[in-house]
Amino acid sequence: METSFALTGKGYVIVAADTTSARSIVKMKNDEDKIKTVSPHLLMSYSGEPGDTVQFAEYIERNLRLYQIRNLYPLRPSAAASWIRRSLAESLRSRSPYSVNLLVGGYDTSTHEPKLYWIDYLGTVSEVPFAAHGYGSYFVLSLLDRYHDPEAPLEEGLATLKRCIQEVSKRLIVSPEKYKVKVVDKDGVREVEL
Amino acid sequence: MSIMDHNGGSVIAMVGKDCVAIASDLRLGNQALGISSNFQRVFGITDRIYLGLPGLATDVNTLRERFRFRVNMYTIKEEREIEPEAFAHLVSSTLYEHRFGPYFIEPVIAGLSKTPTGGIRPFIAATDLIGCINFAKDFVVSGTASSKLFGVAEGLWEPDLEPEDLFETISQTLLNAVDRDAFSGWGAVVHVITKDKVITRKLKARMD
Amino acid sequence: MNTFVNQFSTHSAVSQLKRAQNLIAADEDEYSDATWGSQAGFGNMIKGTPNFTVPAVPDPAAFLRLHTDDHADPNCRIKIQHGTTTLAFRFQGGVIVAVDSRATAGSYIASGTVKKVIEINPYLLGTMAGGAADCQFWETYLGMHCRLHELRNRERISVSAASKYLSNLVYSYKGMGLSMGTMICGWDKTGPAVFYVDSDGTRLKGDLFSVGSGSTFAYGVLDQGYRWDLTDEEAQELGRRSIFAAGHRDAFSGNTCNLYHVKEDGWKFIGNYDVSTMYYDGPGDVPGAPGGGYGYAIRTEGRSAADPPASS
Repeated sequence: METSFALTGKGYVIVAADTTSARSIVKMKNDEDKIKTVSPHLLMSYSGEPGDTVQFAEYIERNLRLYQIRNLYPLRPSAAASWIRRSLAESLRSRSPYSVNLLVGGYDTSTHEPKLYWIDYLGTVSEVPFAAHGYGSYFVLSLLDRYHDPEAPLEEGLATLKRCIQEVSKRLIVSPEKYKVKVVDKDGVREVEL
Repeated sequence: MSIMDHNGGSVIAMVGKDCVAIASDLRLGNQALGISSNFQRVFGITDRIYLGLPGLATDVNTLRERFRFRVNMYTIKEEREIEPEAFAHLVSSTLYEHRFGPYFIEPVIAGLSKTPTGGIRPFIAATDLIGCINFAKDFVVSGTASSKLFGVAEGLWEPDLEPEDLFETISQTLLNAVDRDAFSGWGAVVHVITKDKVITRKLKARMD
Repeated sequence: MNTFVNQFSTHSAVSQLKRAQNLIAADEDEYSDATWGSQAGFGNMIKGTPNFTVPAVPDPAAFLRLHTDDHADPNCRIKIQHGTTTLAFRFQGGVIVAVDSRATAGSYIASGTVKKVIEINPYLLGTMAGGAADCQFWETYLGMHCRLHELRNRERISVSAASKYLSNLVYSYKGMGLSMGTMICGWDKTGPAVFYVDSDGTRLKGDLFSVGSGSTFAYGVLDQGYRWDLTDEEAQELGRRSIFAAGHRDAFSGNTCNLYHVKEDGWKFIGNYDVSTMYYDGPGDVPGAPGGGYGYAIRTEGRSAADPPASS
């Protein structure tokens, strides 16, 4: 089952998503990158209806890029999350809505704050210190209530993420085996090997 | 499972003596799963009007943006602040515009309106999801705990409460009603609107 | 002819019902030996499985389903209690059993003070998830048979045998709408034991189980803190903390946590803890608790993820 997590820490956001691309009962691919870098300090993980996910993510990616080209500055995380939400909310009442669930994690270079937004396919947004989508969220949210620390350095944050991944692989019936993990902080976006 | 119950949440408004109060819980859920305990669903429209939007969370945000836009346009065109009665009709007509594909929200409005003599009069109203307005003289409720709120409010409310007493009444009503509803709770916020100030307080609520 | 059909058509609800009725009828013929010498005399339950009145319709199980399945029809009149979190685990010092106390009917919280641990006898505990009445009735009934076993065999029934008895019992009613997910916990000759039994007929022996709508949240905390060599205090704290986690996140679980500890000399009730009090202030003065509230907002108060550059 598709699973994605994200958590904030001292000056960073970690976003992790599984790498399987499934169709019916078949794993079509096991190294799919489902986290897009949508602007220099902004990451977006996406999951949901196959087809919709990539189409929508690319639409967001291109439009945020266009904004940056036109205005010289990229949107700040809160503004980007707000615009992404609106796109989903408008799509919800259209003829063919996008069924995409997102975790938008970014670093606000003006306030030096890491920001994380939980967004579902209806266009519901919530700013949270940690978040998850998919069946994994039912195991991981209580775990993070217990272990998450907003002031944890990156190594500790990654250790907490490993706990989450281990818990999901222990308890979820069809759990993903591989995750792609990306971090965004004041220096921008980078991928991390667990 | 109704779409109105998908995210949970409840709002109540009460009339006092020269004041009104509006209160809501802070839960954002995804069915049974709690997502956030800091989801605001009550918004200040002007200094004297507050609007509560219980229902589907995506529409809480959408309607909040829409009403901000429409109230701003009204203020610019009329060159004055909107009155609660006019705002209630603005809410109603905005909702009825979507009669055949509604926003899943049942708003609650609380405010103080100006009387011709220069005094103020408390105003509360609620509408259904397509804009049928219910003007009440005592209290209005909405959201997943509405049936429970009715019960407690019928028992606790009395006319002409002073701001501090009204605060106590609305807080106890909300807290106790929400404790009997699985989809509401996880914190609460109360606004008491008086002639010269708005008192906003967060309540220590049950977190389960 | 009838027996022949009954023997081979095992799938229709009617035949299942007939089978159950035959079972009852067979038991009714004579009183069990234990009854004759018993001071309690001839109670209405000692005859064996009690009689159930069945609606006079062709398929009683379907009839019941039509009126109770609130997922398909939220307006149906009979609502059965559903949401719950229960957990039990085995460790070096015995068995910890912890449950919440919320009962919901739809979104209405019908009660916040339900006893979801059923004290079968001084050495056996059963937990309650699913249909409250089903669990309460059949586990009490199980307690009766455990006592009869003791009288007949001059030794206590093993946890394994007790759970097998319950499992066989509910399995004989399969397809008729029983709904229970329970853990039978206790201490016998083999040491501490936990068995998971549900109304599908599943019976599992294991170290650690959690059942109910909030079970996933409990597992999240439980799995991460669990070790075989936990001390008694640590184990009690883990059980309490896990129920709190579920009570917090799951809308259908919460109110309070009831905690039990089974040791060699039988079970002991440790305490009742309010979930909201645990959120703000912690469980109070109990061994093993870290002090301070369990709630995320309380635990991380004053801590911020912001990372402003050090001002020079």
